[in-house]
Amino acid sequence: MTEPLLSVDGLDVRYGEAQALFGVSVEVPPGGAVAVLGPNGAGKSSLAAAIGGRARPAGGTIRFDGRDVTGWAAHRLTRLGLAYVPEGRAIFPHLSVLENLRVRLRYPVPRRERAAALDRAFDAFPILAERRTQPAGTLSGGEQQMLSLARVLAAPPRLLIADEMSLGLAPIVVELVFDGLARARREGVAVLLIEQYVERALAFAETAIILRRGRRVWGGPAKEAATELVAGYLGDERSG
Amino acid sequence: MPGYVLAGLVLGSIYAVSALGLVLTYSSSRVVNFAHGVTAYAVAVFYHWLNHEQGWSILPSAAVSLLVFAPALGLFLWAVLFRRLTHAPPTTRFLATVGLWVALPAAVRLVFPFSQGEINAPQGLAKLPASVFHLSALDVSINANQIAVLAGAVVVVVGMTALLRATPIGLATRASVDSPRSAEVSGINTTLVTAGSWMVGTALAGLAGILLTPILGLADLEFTLLLVVSLAAAVVGRLTSLPLTFAGALVIGLILGISVDFLPAHGVLTTGFRPSVPFVVMLLCLLLYQGLGRERFEVDLRAGPVEREVPAPPPPRGWRAAVGPGIVAVALFSVPLWLNGFWIGVVSQGVALAVLFLTFTIVTGEGGMLSLVQATLAGIGGLITAALATHSSIFGWQVPNPFSSSVGWPLGPAILAGALVAVPVGLLVASLSLRLGDVYLALATLAFALLVEQLVFARHEFDQFGAGIQLGRPMLLGIDFNDRTSFFLLLAAVFCVVALVAVNLRRATTGLVLAAMRSSEQAAATTGVSVVRAKLLAFAASSFVAGLGGALFAITIGRASPNSFNVLIGIVWLAIVATWGVRSVVGALVAGLLFAVVPQLVAEHLPASWADVPTLLFGLGAIGLAREPRGIIFTVVNATRRARGGRGTLALTQPPVR
Repeated sequence: MTEPLLSVDGLDVRYGEAQALFGVSVEVPPGGAVAVLGPNGAGKSSLAAAIGGRARPAGGTIRFDGRDVTGWAAHRLTRLGLAYVPEGRAIFPHLSVLENLRVRLRYPVPRRERAAALDRAFDAFPILAERRTQPAGTLSGGEQQMLSLARVLAAPPRLLIADEMSLGLAPIVVELVFDGLARARREGVAVLLIEQYVERALAFAETAIILRRGRRVWGGPAKEAATELVAGYLGDERSG
Repeated sequence: MPGYVLAGLVLGSIYAVSALGLVLTYSSSRVVNFAHGVTAYAVAVFYHWLNHEQGWSILPSAAVSLLVFAPALGLFLWAVLFRRLTHAPPTTRFLATVGLWVALPAAVRLVFPFSQGEINAPQGLAKLPASVFHLSALDVSINANQIAVLAGAVVVVVGMTALLRATPIGLATRASVDSPRSAEVSGINTTLVTAGSWMVGTALAGLAGILLTPILGLADLEFTLLLVVSLAAAVVGRLTSLPLTFAGALVIGLILGISVDFLPAHGVLTTGFRPSVPFVVMLLCLLLYQGLGRERFEVDLRAGPVEREVPAPPPPRGWRAAVGPGIVAVALFSVPLWLNGFWIGVVSQGVALAVLFLTFTIVTGEGGMLSLVQATLAGIGGLITAALATHSSIFGWQVPNPFSSSVGWPLGPAILAGALVAVPVGLLVASLSLRLGDVYLALATLAFALLVEQLVFARHEFDQFGAGIQLGRPMLLGIDFNDRTSFFLLLAAVFCVVALVAVNLRRATTGLVLAAMRSSEQAAATTGVSVVRAKLLAFAASSFVAGLGGALFAITIGRASPNSFNVLIGIVWLAIVATWGVRSVVGALVAGLLFAVVPQLVAEHLPASWADVPTLLFGLGAIGLAREPRGIIFTVVNATRRARGGRGTLALTQPPVR
């Protein structure tokens, strides 16, 4: 087995006196896709935030591409090729669509290749090209998520941490988002996927982990996760 | 073009440069810097020191002041203070910058002793005497200073537009301002951007300060007005829009300039007009924006969530509850036993101030409202009391005297009347600003305080060429309080009564309502609480206490002078009260005593050049609030309760993610 691209080991996250994660471990191989599942408040977003550099781990290590990046600030991780799309729309509402893309492409793309990267972004989502001068805040929710994905497709990162990208979107737009994610994977992007659409997530990922109350309660092939989840939700009263 | 239009344009340009700095720093860190005016002052003094004291020529002085000193100052202040404030609760954010407002001028005067005296005809960016040019096309004379101002403003506007619109740094800055969270995950180092904006913002303040000095001198009041106009302009731009802010500042400057032509050369109308312009502009904008319904003037949360206050441990119950206050009361009443006459006088001032300070305890501590008008309300109490007691006339209107046949009222009823007059004034401010959240209330009250100062306090009947109105000691209920000890005991008794009322206000339903409002106005409203009524009640009570305290303080020092109650003294009071605990009556007492005693000790034991040390300490204390917003008393009490194994814990909060 090859060296994992991302390996999280024994991660603890605390907010003041409340602890959100207890010793969670997860690995993402290069080009692989891992789904993180679990009920509300299980710590899925805390895990994403800690890996993405938005929450400071209280314990454990995070290694990315063979380097210890525990506690690194978000902007440094981004420059390393780790793209984190936080829950909610991670856009700049008052900047134009074009400016949004220019900000996003500035760090991952060398200066000479930026124009080409912009073209790739607009190729991926032509609607964005039509709206390039419009403030991003005036886009629809789906278009805003396309904006987030466009950056991923135009300058593929090594790892994408997608936190509930389909949240609050119409089913037809969710379709588009998953298409985008699939396209990113074909470009060689590894994905850590946090999703509420469990079936879609499991169809997309090879492996999955299940979190409950801040602890990892299961990990294995995505195919087997569904039965495990049902057991978790319905069967086990004590941990419910 | 008439000369006064040019003068207004010049003034407006200076204000605009300063206001841009204010908006820039606010946008990047969500902190309204009430110390913006004094940072301008600090840079202007530094420039004057290089240019005048060190004999450097204009260009190198300006370059070092604006490109080295000001950015370094901005970076320093950001690193030690503003950085901590972005996620702090609104009260902390406000009080800490007020602390800086107090501490910075004191520090400047200590480091540059020449600024303690009056500075005659300071030089700006043009050589003095400024050469005058006549533009025949416009039929106007323009001097070199005015050219420097206009050129400076153009350079700033063009430079900032180019920087923000056309450079990668500008794009990164705009992105960080728009959404810090998205900026971080886009690879932007938002910390760097914020630090940079404080450096640039301070340099802009400094440029405004340097440009202002040859026109209006290097004096405190002008820099307060610079702050207020900048704030008003920033409100025009909703604290975020640079172009609107710039336009707002220009308009205010133009109104001020053009009005010179219409107003009489002297008189209250003229002196009152200047501070009323920013106030009216600010108020109109707030009402207009609210009328448009697009803006709720609350704290903007885009920078992330604000730390919530961790509830204090429950206070002890039963007889234990009386132990702490009992010790304090015994210590207070026993003061005449162990101090001599002179120091009883000094401590009396402290206790009178402590009564006054309870106004902060009620309005800011309990009510959670950020008001800068309390000192003015105290001044109203003091001045009305004095006017009634000496000549029974206010604003030239003869007040009938039902109490005695002599000209003046007896002091007892006069004090009560003074305190009562403060109430409607306080309610007026409150009603104007009821719907304004946090920082906007502070802005409106600051502007209102300046307005009253110039319109009312400056009147000759109160001011008496700066001397104020003389006052004697009262005779109450047949007891003569003329000697120091009995008057001291009277003050101590009044303090205890008002403090008890304040504490009971907290324990009563009203206090609960206020506490609910402090933690969330919306949530309080949904439980059926009338936020408006609670706020008005808090303001009314605090105004009465302010008026009472102001009257007592005036009687203690023997005169009611507007100088004792100006805005700048008011912020020092607020800073020291906040340091010891703005929610604690003991904090108010300690603050009052220290405010009276420490300067006296410094004056007796340290050289005269150290006179600013107490002020510096008071300001630094408030700056320290960035650590523990509830003040020293709270920290001590909490620590002892914890040591005794109480249930209370001082939980440290950290901003949650997202």
